[in-house]
Amino acid sequence: MIDDILHIFFPRTYTLGNGKVVKEKFNWAPYITIAVIVFSILCAIATKVDIPRLIQRSNAFWDLIREMIPPNWSFWRDLQKPMIDTIVMSVLGTVVGCLIALPTSFYLSSNFELNNVYLVGHRGLLSLLRTLPTLVYAQLLSIVIGTGTLAGTVSISIFTYTICVKMLYEQIETVDMGPYEALQSTGASRAKCMIKAIYPQIRGYFWATVLYCFETNVRSAAILGYVGAGGIGVQINEQLTWRRYGNTGLMVLVLVITVVIIETISRELRKKLVQG
Amino acid sequence: MSSKQLTVQSQLEKFPSVLPKFIIGLLSFVVFYILATITISFKGINERGLLIAINAFKGLFNPSVKIITDLGQYGLLQMLFETLAIAFLGTIIGLVFAIPLAFLASRNMFPKGINNICLTLISVIRAFPSFMLGIMFVKSIGPGAFAGVLSMAIGSIGMLSKLIIEVIEDLNPGIAEALDAAGCSTFEKIRYGLIPQLSSNIISIVLYRLDINVKNATILGIVQAGGIGAQLMFAIGARRWPDAGAMLLGVIFMTVVLEYFSTKIRTRLAGQKG
Repeated sequence: MIDDILHIFFPRTYTLGNGKVVKEKFNWAPYITIAVIVFSILCAIATKVDIPRLIQRSNAFWDLIREMIPPNWSFWRDLQKPMIDTIVMSVLGTVVGCLIALPTSFYLSSNFELNNVYLVGHRGLLSLLRTLPTLVYAQLLSIVIGTGTLAGTVSISIFTYTICVKMLYEQIETVDMGPYEALQSTGASRAKCMIKAIYPQIRGYFWATVLYCFETNVRSAAILGYVGAGGIGVQINEQLTWRRYGNTGLMVLVLVITVVIIETISRELRKKLVQG
Repeated sequence: MSSKQLTVQSQLEKFPSVLPKFIIGLLSFVVFYILATITISFKGINERGLLIAINAFKGLFNPSVKIITDLGQYGLLQMLFETLAIAFLGTIIGLVFAIPLAFLASRNMFPKGINNICLTLISVIRAFPSFMLGIMFVKSIGPGAFAGVLSMAIGSIGMLSKLIIEVIEDLNPGIAEALDAAGCSTFEKIRYGLIPQLSSNIISIVLYRLDINVKNATILGIVQAGGIGAQLMFAIGARRWPDAGAMLLGVIFMTVVLEYFSTKIRTRLAGQKG
Protein backbone atom coordinates (compact mmCIF):
# COMPACT_ATOMS: atom_id res chain seq x y z
CA MET A 1 0.00 0.00 0.00
CA ILE A 2 2.67 2.51 1.09
CA ASP A 3 4.76 1.29 -1.78
CA ASP A 4 1.95 2.06 -4.23
CA ILE A 5 1.57 5.61 -2.88
CA LEU A 6 5.34 6.19 -3.04
CA HIS A 7 5.37 5.10 -6.66
CA ILE A 8 2.92 7.88 -7.52
CA PHE A 9 5.70 10.36 -6.73
CA PHE A 10 8.80 8.38 -7.66
CA PRO A 11 8.52 6.49 -10.94
CA ARG A 12 9.32 2.78 -10.86
CA THR A 13 12.34 1.35 -12.58
CA TYR A 14 12.21 -2.14 -14.05
CA THR A 15 15.16 -4.35 -14.85
CA LEU A 16 14.44 -6.47 -17.91
CA GLY A 17 15.72 -9.97 -18.50
CA ASN A 18 18.57 -8.77 -20.70
CA GLY A 19 19.77 -6.45 -17.94
CA LYS A 20 18.31 -3.30 -19.50
CA VAL A 21 16.86 -0.79 -17.02
CA VAL A 22 13.54 0.77 -18.04
CA LYS A 23 12.26 3.87 -16.24
CA GLU A 24 8.62 4.84 -15.97
CA LYS A 25 7.81 8.27 -17.42
CA PHE A 26 8.06 11.00 -14.81
CA ASN A 27 4.73 12.66 -14.08
CA TRP A 28 4.35 16.18 -12.69
CA ALA A 29 0.62 15.87 -12.01
CA PRO A 30 0.75 14.64 -8.37
CA TYR A 31 3.20 17.39 -7.39
CA ILE A 32 1.04 20.05 -9.05
CA THR A 33 -2.09 18.67 -7.38
CA ILE A 34 -0.46 18.85 -3.97
CA ALA A 35 0.83 22.37 -4.65
CA VAL A 36 -2.66 23.49 -5.65
CA ILE A 37 -4.19 21.96 -2.52
CA VAL A 38 -1.58 23.55 -0.24
CA PHE A 39 -2.02 26.93 -1.92
CA SER A 40 -5.81 26.61 -1.61
CA ILE A 41 -5.48 26.00 2.12
CA LEU A 42 -3.19 29.04 2.41
CA CYS A 43 -5.76 31.08 0.52
CA ALA A 44 -8.54 29.77 2.73
CA ILE A 45 -6.61 30.94 5.79
CA ALA A 46 -5.95 34.34 4.20
CA THR A 47 -9.59 34.88 3.28
CA LYS A 48 -10.85 33.58 6.65
CA VAL A 49 -13.03 30.85 5.16
CA ASP A 50 -15.53 29.88 7.82
CA ILE A 51 -17.82 27.02 6.84
CA PRO A 52 -19.79 26.93 10.16
CA ARG A 53 -20.62 30.61 9.70
CA LEU A 54 -21.74 29.95 6.15
CA ILE A 55 -24.11 27.18 7.30
CA GLN A 56 -25.30 29.25 10.24
CA ARG A 57 -25.93 32.36 8.14
CA SER A 58 -27.18 30.68 4.99
CA ASN A 59 -30.73 31.32 6.23
CA ALA A 60 -30.04 35.04 5.99
CA PHE A 61 -29.05 34.59 2.34
CA TRP A 62 -32.32 32.83 1.47
CA ASP A 63 -34.24 35.40 3.51
CA LEU A 64 -32.65 38.11 1.42
CA ILE A 65 -33.75 36.38 -1.77
CA ARG A 66 -37.24 35.83 -0.33
CA GLU A 67 -37.48 39.55 0.43
CA MET A 68 -36.53 40.36 -3.17
CA ILE A 69 -39.47 38.26 -4.42
CA PRO A 70 -41.93 39.53 -5.43
CA PRO A 71 -40.21 42.58 -6.89
CA ASN A 72 -41.80 45.95 -6.29
CA TRP A 73 -43.24 46.64 -9.75
CA SER A 74 -44.24 50.23 -9.00
CA PHE A 75 -40.55 51.07 -8.75
CA TRP A 76 -40.24 50.64 -12.53
CA ARG A 77 -41.13 54.31 -13.10
CA ASP A 78 -38.05 55.48 -11.20
CA LEU A 79 -35.92 52.79 -12.76
CA GLN A 80 -36.45 53.64 -16.43
CA LYS A 81 -34.12 56.62 -16.57
CA PRO A 82 -31.08 54.99 -14.89
CA MET A 83 -31.57 51.81 -16.91
CA ILE A 84 -31.61 53.75 -20.20
CA ASP A 85 -28.60 55.70 -18.93
CA THR A 86 -26.73 52.44 -18.29
CA ILE A 87 -27.43 51.08 -21.77
CA VAL A 88 -26.67 54.36 -23.54
CA MET A 89 -23.44 54.70 -21.57
CA SER A 90 -22.30 51.29 -22.71
CA VAL A 91 -23.43 51.85 -26.32
CA LEU A 92 -21.62 55.16 -26.62
CA GLY A 93 -18.56 53.94 -24.74
CA THR A 94 -18.31 50.89 -26.99
CA VAL A 95 -18.79 52.86 -30.21
CA VAL A 96 -16.24 55.53 -29.31
CA GLY A 97 -13.72 53.02 -28.00
CA CYS A 98 -13.98 50.70 -31.00
CA LEU A 99 -13.93 53.50 -33.57
CA ILE A 100 -10.68 54.83 -32.09
CA ALA A 101 -9.33 51.28 -31.80
CA LEU A 102 -9.88 50.39 -35.47
CA PRO A 103 -7.31 52.72 -37.07
CA THR A 104 -4.90 52.32 -34.16
CA SER A 105 -4.88 48.55 -34.43
CA PHE A 106 -3.60 48.78 -38.03
CA TYR A 107 -0.61 50.74 -36.83
CA LEU A 108 -0.03 48.26 -34.00
CA SER A 109 0.10 45.14 -36.18
CA SER A 110 3.55 43.81 -36.82
CA ASN A 111 2.91 42.74 -40.42
CA PHE A 112 3.15 46.22 -41.93
CA GLU A 113 6.71 46.68 -40.68
CA LEU A 114 6.10 50.09 -39.19
CA ASN A 115 8.05 51.78 -36.45
CA ASN A 116 9.02 49.05 -33.98
CA VAL A 117 9.71 51.30 -31.02
CA TYR A 118 6.26 52.87 -31.29
CA LEU A 119 4.69 49.45 -31.69
CA VAL A 120 6.29 47.92 -28.62
CA GLY A 121 5.76 51.05 -26.54
CA HIS A 122 2.10 51.48 -27.39
CA ARG A 123 1.37 47.77 -26.98
CA GLY A 124 3.14 47.70 -23.62
CA LEU A 125 1.22 50.73 -22.39
CA LEU A 126 -2.05 49.16 -23.49
CA SER A 127 -1.30 45.85 -21.78
CA LEU A 128 -0.65 47.78 -18.56
CA LEU A 129 -3.86 49.79 -18.91
CA ARG A 130 -5.84 46.67 -19.76
CA THR A 131 -5.24 45.26 -16.29
CA LEU A 132 -7.30 48.00 -14.63
CA PRO A 133 -11.05 47.43 -14.46
CA THR A 134 -13.53 50.00 -15.76
CA LEU A 135 -14.45 50.87 -12.19
CA VAL A 136 -11.01 52.28 -11.42
CA TYR A 137 -11.14 54.57 -14.45
CA ALA A 138 -14.64 55.63 -13.46
CA GLN A 139 -13.52 56.47 -9.93
CA LEU A 140 -10.55 58.50 -11.21
CA LEU A 141 -12.60 60.30 -13.87
CA SER A 142 -15.55 61.04 -11.62
CA ILE A 143 -13.16 63.04 -9.46
CA VAL A 144 -11.45 64.81 -12.35
CA ILE A 145 -14.40 65.59 -14.66
CA GLY A 146 -17.16 65.39 -12.09
CA THR A 147 -19.64 62.65 -11.27
CA GLY A 148 -22.22 61.71 -13.87
CA THR A 149 -22.74 59.69 -16.98
CA LEU A 150 -19.87 61.38 -18.82
CA ALA A 151 -17.29 59.87 -16.47
CA GLY A 152 -18.89 56.46 -16.98
CA THR A 153 -18.94 56.77 -20.76
CA VAL A 154 -15.34 57.91 -20.98
CA SER A 155 -14.13 55.14 -18.68
CA ILE A 156 -16.03 52.54 -20.69
CA SER A 157 -14.52 53.83 -23.91
CA ILE A 158 -10.99 53.72 -22.44
CA PHE A 159 -11.48 50.13 -21.33
CA THR A 160 -13.06 49.15 -24.66
CA TYR A 161 -10.18 50.77 -26.52
CA THR A 162 -7.60 48.76 -24.61
CA ILE A 163 -9.23 45.38 -25.22
CA CYS A 164 -10.54 46.05 -28.72
CA VAL A 165 -7.11 47.10 -30.04
CA LYS A 166 -5.57 43.86 -28.82
CA MET A 167 -8.24 41.64 -30.34
CA LEU A 168 -8.05 43.52 -33.64
CA TYR A 169 -4.30 43.56 -34.10
CA GLU A 170 -4.10 39.88 -33.30
CA GLN A 171 -6.63 39.30 -36.07
CA ILE A 172 -4.92 41.68 -38.52
CA GLU A 173 -1.67 39.78 -38.07
CA THR A 174 -3.32 36.66 -39.50
CA VAL A 175 -4.74 38.23 -42.69
CA ASP A 176 -3.63 37.46 -46.23
CA MET A 177 -1.10 40.12 -47.25
CA GLY A 178 -1.42 39.42 -51.00
CA PRO A 179 -4.09 42.03 -51.77
CA TYR A 180 -2.17 44.59 -49.72
CA GLU A 181 1.01 44.05 -51.71
CA ALA A 182 -0.92 44.09 -54.99
CA LEU A 183 -2.46 47.43 -54.12
CA GLN A 184 0.88 48.81 -52.99
CA SER A 185 2.39 47.91 -56.34
CA THR A 186 -0.22 50.10 -58.05
CA GLY A 187 1.13 53.01 -56.04
CA ALA A 188 -1.68 53.42 -53.54
CA SER A 189 -0.80 55.05 -50.24
CA ARG A 190 -0.39 52.88 -47.15
CA ALA A 191 -3.64 54.06 -45.56
CA LYS A 192 -5.58 53.37 -48.75
CA CYS A 193 -4.08 49.88 -48.98
CA MET A 194 -5.11 49.16 -45.41
CA ILE A 195 -8.68 50.34 -46.00
CA LYS A 196 -9.16 48.57 -49.32
CA ALA A 197 -7.13 45.39 -48.84
CA ILE A 198 -7.01 44.62 -45.13
CA TYR A 199 -10.23 46.04 -43.70
CA PRO A 200 -12.56 43.87 -45.86
CA GLN A 201 -10.78 40.80 -44.50
CA ILE A 202 -11.41 41.72 -40.87
CA ARG A 203 -14.77 43.47 -41.31
CA GLY A 204 -16.85 40.61 -39.90
CA TYR A 205 -14.45 40.06 -37.05
CA PHE A 206 -14.43 43.77 -36.24
CA TRP A 207 -18.21 43.96 -35.83
CA ALA A 208 -18.15 40.72 -33.81
CA THR A 209 -15.57 42.35 -31.54
CA VAL A 210 -17.75 45.45 -31.20
CA LEU A 211 -20.68 43.27 -30.11
CA TYR A 212 -18.52 41.30 -27.70
CA CYS A 213 -17.24 44.54 -26.13
CA PHE A 214 -20.80 45.82 -25.88
CA GLU A 215 -21.83 42.68 -24.00
CA THR A 216 -19.03 42.98 -21.46
CA ASN A 217 -19.63 46.70 -21.10
CA VAL A 218 -23.33 46.35 -20.28
CA ARG A 219 -22.32 44.04 -17.43
CA SER A 220 -19.65 46.34 -16.09
CA ALA A 221 -21.68 49.54 -16.61
CA ALA A 222 -24.22 48.39 -14.03
CA ILE A 223 -21.73 48.76 -11.19
CA LEU A 224 -20.27 52.12 -12.26
CA GLY A 225 -22.93 54.04 -10.34
CA TYR A 226 -21.27 52.91 -7.13
CA VAL A 227 -18.53 55.48 -7.66
CA GLY A 228 -20.98 58.09 -8.93
CA ALA A 229 -20.41 57.52 -12.63
CA GLY A 230 -24.10 57.29 -13.53
CA GLY A 231 -26.39 54.44 -14.44
CA ILE A 232 -28.30 51.91 -12.39
CA GLY A 233 -25.55 51.41 -9.84
CA VAL A 234 -26.50 54.64 -8.06
CA GLN A 235 -30.00 53.27 -7.49
CA ILE A 236 -28.75 49.85 -6.36
CA ASN A 237 -26.52 51.50 -3.80
CA GLU A 238 -29.35 53.74 -2.48
CA GLN A 239 -32.03 51.07 -2.32
CA LEU A 240 -29.73 48.63 -0.54
CA THR A 241 -28.76 51.23 2.04
CA TRP A 242 -32.45 51.91 2.71
CA ARG A 243 -33.07 48.14 2.83
CA ARG A 244 -35.78 48.24 0.17
CA TYR A 245 -35.20 44.75 -1.08
CA GLY A 246 -38.36 44.67 -3.22
CA ASN A 247 -36.91 47.47 -5.34
CA THR A 248 -33.55 45.71 -5.46
CA GLY A 249 -35.29 42.57 -6.66
CA LEU A 250 -36.84 44.48 -9.55
CA MET A 251 -33.45 45.95 -10.47
CA VAL A 252 -31.81 42.54 -10.46
CA LEU A 253 -34.62 41.16 -12.61
CA VAL A 254 -34.37 44.02 -15.11
CA LEU A 255 -30.58 43.67 -15.26
CA VAL A 256 -30.72 39.92 -15.81
CA ILE A 257 -33.36 40.27 -18.56
CA THR A 258 -31.40 43.04 -20.28
CA VAL A 259 -28.19 41.04 -20.19
CA VAL A 260 -29.91 37.91 -21.52
CA ILE A 261 -31.61 39.83 -24.37
CA ILE A 262 -28.42 41.62 -25.39
CA GLU A 263 -26.38 38.40 -25.17
CA THR A 264 -28.84 36.43 -27.26
CA ILE A 265 -29.02 39.07 -29.99
CA SER A 266 -25.29 39.55 -30.00
CA ARG A 267 -24.57 35.81 -30.09
CA GLU A 268 -26.84 35.30 -33.11
CA LEU A 269 -25.39 38.32 -34.90
CA ARG A 270 -21.84 37.23 -34.19
CA LYS A 271 -22.51 33.76 -35.55
CA LYS A 272 -23.69 35.35 -38.80
CA LEU A 273 -20.78 37.81 -38.93
CA VAL A 274 -18.08 35.23 -38.42
CA GLN A 275 -19.61 32.88 -40.96
CA GLY A 276 -19.62 35.42 -43.74
CA MET B 1 -2.95 49.40 -74.41
CA SER B 2 -6.36 50.96 -74.96
CA SER B 3 -8.22 47.77 -74.12
CA LYS B 4 -6.42 47.61 -70.77
CA GLN B 5 -7.46 51.15 -69.88
CA LEU B 6 -11.00 50.22 -70.80
CA THR B 7 -11.06 47.32 -68.33
CA VAL B 8 -9.84 49.52 -65.51
CA GLN B 9 -12.50 52.06 -66.39
CA SER B 10 -15.26 49.42 -66.45
CA GLN B 11 -14.05 47.92 -63.19
CA LEU B 12 -14.19 51.35 -61.59
CA GLU B 13 -17.74 51.84 -62.81
CA LYS B 14 -18.74 48.43 -61.49
CA PHE B 15 -17.58 49.45 -58.03
CA PRO B 16 -20.61 50.08 -55.79
CA SER B 17 -21.39 53.65 -54.87
CA VAL B 18 -20.30 54.79 -51.42
CA LEU B 19 -23.37 57.01 -51.03
CA PRO B 20 -25.57 54.50 -49.11
CA LYS B 21 -22.76 53.75 -46.72
CA PHE B 22 -22.19 57.46 -46.23
CA ILE B 23 -25.88 57.99 -45.46
CA ILE B 24 -25.90 55.10 -42.97
CA GLY B 25 -22.86 56.54 -41.29
CA LEU B 26 -24.38 59.99 -41.07
CA LEU B 27 -27.67 58.64 -39.72
CA SER B 28 -25.96 56.55 -37.05
CA PHE B 29 -23.88 59.56 -36.07
CA VAL B 30 -27.07 61.60 -35.63
CA VAL B 31 -28.66 58.80 -33.57
CA PHE B 32 -25.63 58.53 -31.32
CA TYR B 33 -25.47 62.32 -30.98
CA ILE B 34 -29.12 62.43 -29.87
CA LEU B 35 -28.51 59.55 -27.43
CA ALA B 36 -25.54 61.42 -26.05
CA THR B 37 -27.46 64.64 -25.53
CA ILE B 38 -30.25 62.76 -23.72
CA THR B 39 -28.04 61.10 -21.12
CA ILE B 40 -24.71 62.82 -20.97
CA SER B 41 -24.33 66.25 -19.53
CA PHE B 42 -20.94 67.83 -19.76
CA LYS B 43 -20.43 70.70 -17.38
CA GLY B 44 -16.91 71.38 -18.54
CA ILE B 45 -13.69 70.72 -16.73
CA ASN B 46 -13.27 73.46 -14.22
CA GLU B 47 -9.98 74.72 -12.88
CA ARG B 48 -10.23 72.47 -9.85
CA GLY B 49 -10.64 69.37 -11.96
CA LEU B 50 -7.53 70.23 -13.91
CA LEU B 51 -5.59 70.81 -10.71
CA ILE B 52 -6.80 67.48 -9.36
CA ALA B 53 -5.76 65.75 -12.56
CA ILE B 54 -2.25 67.20 -12.33
CA ASN B 55 -1.95 66.20 -8.67
CA ALA B 56 -3.27 62.73 -9.47
CA PHE B 57 -0.70 62.28 -12.20
CA LYS B 58 2.10 63.42 -9.90
CA GLY B 59 0.92 61.08 -7.15
CA LEU B 60 0.44 58.09 -9.40
CA PHE B 61 4.04 58.32 -10.58
CA ASN B 62 5.38 58.82 -7.05
CA PRO B 63 3.96 55.79 -5.28
CA SER B 64 4.22 55.88 -1.52
CA VAL B 65 7.01 53.62 -0.30
CA LYS B 66 5.44 53.27 3.13
CA ILE B 67 2.50 51.24 1.87
CA ILE B 68 4.69 49.01 -0.31
CA THR B 69 7.08 48.06 2.50
CA ASP B 70 4.34 47.76 5.14
CA LEU B 71 3.76 44.08 5.91
CA GLY B 72 0.72 44.68 8.14
CA GLN B 73 -2.94 44.28 7.36
CA TYR B 74 -3.14 47.41 5.23
CA GLY B 75 0.21 46.85 3.55
CA LEU B 76 0.27 46.37 -0.18
CA LEU B 77 1.59 42.81 -0.11
CA GLN B 78 -1.06 41.48 2.20
CA MET B 79 -3.86 43.20 0.28
CA LEU B 80 -2.58 41.84 -3.02
CA PHE B 81 -2.31 38.36 -1.58
CA GLU B 82 -5.87 38.60 -0.28
CA THR B 83 -7.06 39.62 -3.75
CA LEU B 84 -5.18 36.74 -5.34
CA ALA B 85 -6.49 34.34 -2.70
CA ILE B 86 -10.10 35.36 -3.37
CA ALA B 87 -9.62 34.83 -7.10
CA PHE B 88 -7.77 31.53 -6.73
CA LEU B 89 -10.08 29.98 -4.17
CA GLY B 90 -13.12 31.26 -6.03
CA THR B 91 -11.91 29.64 -9.23
CA ILE B 92 -11.13 26.32 -7.54
CA ILE B 93 -14.48 26.14 -5.74
CA GLY B 94 -16.22 27.20 -8.94
CA LEU B 95 -14.42 24.39 -10.79
CA VAL B 96 -15.48 21.83 -8.19
CA PHE B 97 -19.11 22.75 -8.88
CA ALA B 98 -18.68 23.32 -12.60
CA ILE B 99 -17.29 19.90 -13.54
CA PRO B 100 -20.29 17.80 -12.40
CA LEU B 101 -22.67 20.41 -13.79
CA ALA B 102 -20.87 20.32 -17.12
CA PHE B 103 -21.05 16.52 -17.25
CA LEU B 104 -24.77 16.64 -16.50
CA ALA B 105 -25.28 19.22 -19.23
CA SER B 106 -23.34 17.52 -22.04
CA ARG B 107 -25.35 15.77 -24.67
CA ASN B 108 -23.09 12.73 -24.99
CA MET B 109 -23.22 11.92 -21.27
CA PHE B 110 -26.78 12.33 -19.99
CA PRO B 111 -30.31 12.36 -21.45
CA LYS B 112 -31.78 15.50 -22.92
CA GLY B 113 -34.12 16.34 -20.03
CA ILE B 114 -31.27 16.61 -17.53
CA ASN B 115 -29.20 18.57 -20.06
CA ASN B 116 -31.85 21.22 -20.49
CA ILE B 117 -32.36 21.70 -16.75
CA CYS B 118 -28.61 22.14 -16.22
CA LEU B 119 -28.19 24.43 -19.23
CA THR B 120 -30.96 26.71 -17.93
CA LEU B 121 -29.31 26.77 -14.51
CA ILE B 122 -25.98 27.67 -16.10
CA SER B 123 -27.41 30.51 -18.17
CA VAL B 124 -29.24 31.94 -15.15
CA ILE B 125 -25.98 31.91 -13.16
CA ARG B 126 -24.15 33.50 -16.08
CA ALA B 127 -26.64 36.34 -16.46
CA PHE B 128 -26.72 37.18 -12.75
CA PRO B 129 -24.47 40.20 -12.19
CA SER B 130 -21.53 39.07 -10.06
CA PHE B 131 -21.36 42.21 -7.94
CA MET B 132 -25.00 41.64 -6.96
CA LEU B 133 -23.92 38.22 -5.64
CA GLY B 134 -21.15 39.98 -3.74
CA ILE B 135 -23.64 42.40 -2.21
CA MET B 136 -25.99 39.59 -1.22
CA PHE B 137 -23.23 37.55 0.43
CA VAL B 138 -21.93 40.62 2.25
CA LYS B 139 -25.45 41.35 3.53
CA SER B 140 -26.02 37.77 4.69
CA ILE B 141 -22.69 36.49 6.04
CA GLY B 142 -21.05 39.81 6.82
CA PRO B 143 -18.36 41.82 5.01
CA GLY B 144 -14.95 40.32 4.35
CA ALA B 145 -12.95 38.24 1.96
CA PHE B 146 -15.06 35.12 2.59
CA ALA B 147 -18.09 36.80 0.99
CA GLY B 148 -15.84 37.64 -1.95
CA VAL B 149 -14.72 34.03 -2.31
CA LEU B 150 -18.31 32.77 -2.34
CA SER B 151 -19.54 35.29 -4.88
CA MET B 152 -16.51 34.65 -7.08
CA ALA B 153 -17.08 30.89 -6.88
CA ILE B 154 -20.70 31.12 -7.94
CA GLY B 155 -19.87 33.76 -10.54
CA SER B 156 -17.28 31.46 -12.14
CA ILE B 157 -19.52 28.40 -12.37
CA GLY B 158 -21.39 29.72 -15.40
CA MET B 159 -18.49 30.38 -17.73
CA LEU B 160 -16.38 27.44 -16.54
CA SER B 161 -19.13 24.89 -17.08
CA LYS B 162 -20.10 26.39 -20.42
CA LEU B 163 -16.54 25.99 -21.69
CA ILE B 164 -16.09 22.55 -20.12
CA ILE B 165 -19.28 21.32 -21.83
CA GLU B 166 -17.68 22.08 -25.18
CA VAL B 167 -14.63 20.01 -24.22
CA ILE B 168 -16.72 17.09 -23.00
CA GLU B 169 -18.87 17.08 -26.14
CA ASP B 170 -15.67 16.91 -28.20
CA LEU B 171 -14.54 13.72 -26.42
CA ASN B 172 -13.49 10.89 -28.65
CA PRO B 173 -15.82 7.92 -27.88
CA GLY B 174 -13.44 5.50 -29.63
CA ILE B 175 -10.94 5.65 -26.79
CA ALA B 176 -13.48 4.53 -24.19
CA GLU B 177 -14.59 1.73 -26.51
CA ALA B 178 -11.03 0.59 -27.04
CA LEU B 179 -10.41 0.49 -23.27
CA ASP B 180 -13.68 -1.43 -22.88
CA ALA B 181 -12.48 -3.96 -25.42
CA ALA B 182 -9.20 -4.32 -23.54
CA GLY B 183 -11.20 -5.24 -20.44
CA CYS B 184 -10.64 -2.13 -18.32
CA SER B 185 -12.71 -1.39 -15.23
CA THR B 186 -14.72 1.83 -14.92
CA PHE B 187 -12.02 3.43 -12.81
CA GLU B 188 -9.34 2.55 -15.34
CA LYS B 189 -11.51 3.88 -18.14
CA ILE B 190 -11.80 7.21 -16.34
CA ARG B 191 -8.10 7.28 -15.46
CA TYR B 192 -6.72 6.37 -18.88
CA GLY B 193 -9.57 7.31 -21.22
CA LEU B 194 -11.24 10.38 -19.80
CA ILE B 195 -8.74 12.36 -17.73
CA PRO B 196 -5.93 12.54 -20.32
CA GLN B 197 -8.41 13.84 -22.89
CA LEU B 198 -9.88 16.46 -20.60
CA SER B 199 -7.10 17.62 -18.29
CA SER B 200 -5.10 19.92 -20.54
CA ASN B 201 -8.22 21.64 -21.87
CA ILE B 202 -9.71 22.07 -18.43
CA ILE B 203 -6.45 23.45 -17.04
CA SER B 204 -6.30 26.07 -19.76
CA ILE B 205 -9.94 27.00 -19.19
CA VAL B 206 -9.28 27.35 -15.46
CA LEU B 207 -6.20 29.49 -16.04
CA TYR B 208 -8.20 31.70 -18.39
CA ARG B 209 -10.94 32.13 -15.79
CA LEU B 210 -8.32 32.77 -13.08
CA ASP B 211 -7.05 35.70 -15.16
CA ILE B 212 -10.55 37.14 -15.35
CA ASN B 213 -11.20 36.50 -11.66
CA VAL B 214 -8.06 38.32 -10.54
CA LYS B 215 -9.31 41.35 -12.46
CA ASN B 216 -12.80 40.97 -10.99
CA ALA B 217 -11.43 40.54 -7.47
CA THR B 218 -10.05 44.07 -7.55
CA ILE B 219 -13.54 45.50 -7.91
CA LEU B 220 -15.17 43.26 -5.29
CA GLY B 221 -13.75 45.56 -2.63
CA ILE B 222 -16.25 48.24 -3.57
CA VAL B 223 -19.07 46.16 -2.07
CA GLN B 224 -16.88 45.37 0.99
CA ALA B 225 -16.21 41.82 -0.12
CA GLY B 226 -12.48 41.96 0.58
CA GLY B 227 -9.45 42.42 -1.61
CA ILE B 228 -7.53 45.51 -2.54
CA GLY B 229 -10.54 47.27 -4.10
CA ALA B 230 -11.93 48.93 -0.98
CA GLN B 231 -8.62 50.50 0.04
CA LEU B 232 -7.90 51.53 -3.55
CA MET B 233 -11.26 53.26 -3.91
CA PHE B 234 -10.90 54.95 -0.52
CA ALA B 235 -7.45 56.17 -1.47
CA ILE B 236 -8.69 57.61 -4.77
CA GLY B 237 -11.83 59.04 -3.15
CA ALA B 238 -9.81 60.71 -0.39
CA ARG B 239 -7.29 61.87 -3.01
CA ARG B 240 -4.36 60.15 -1.32
CA TRP B 241 -2.67 59.87 -4.70
CA PRO B 242 0.69 58.35 -3.63
CA ASP B 243 -1.14 55.50 -1.86
CA ALA B 244 -3.48 55.04 -4.81
CA GLY B 245 -0.48 55.02 -7.14
CA ALA B 246 1.26 52.32 -5.14
CA MET B 247 -1.87 50.17 -5.10
CA LEU B 248 -2.54 50.65 -8.82
CA LEU B 249 1.06 49.65 -9.56
CA GLY B 250 0.60 46.60 -7.35
CA VAL B 251 -2.57 45.57 -9.16
CA ILE B 252 -0.99 46.13 -12.58
CA PHE B 253 2.13 44.18 -11.61
CA MET B 254 0.19 41.24 -10.21
CA THR B 255 -2.15 41.00 -13.18
CA VAL B 256 0.61 41.32 -15.75
CA VAL B 257 2.76 38.64 -14.10
CA LEU B 258 -0.20 36.28 -13.78
CA GLU B 259 -1.31 36.91 -17.34
CA TYR B 260 2.22 36.23 -18.60
CA PHE B 261 2.49 32.87 -16.87
CA SER B 262 -1.05 31.79 -17.67
CA THR B 263 -0.61 32.62 -21.37
CA LYS B 264 2.68 30.74 -21.40
CA ILE B 265 1.23 27.63 -19.79
CA ARG B 266 -1.85 27.78 -22.02
CA THR B 267 0.20 27.96 -25.22
CA ARG B 268 2.26 25.00 -24.05
CA LEU B 269 -0.84 22.97 -23.30
CA ALA B 270 -2.34 23.87 -26.66
CA GLY B 271 0.91 22.78 -28.33
CA GLN B 272 0.84 19.42 -26.58
CA LYS B 273 -2.65 18.70 -27.84
CA GLY B 274 -2.02 19.46 -31.51
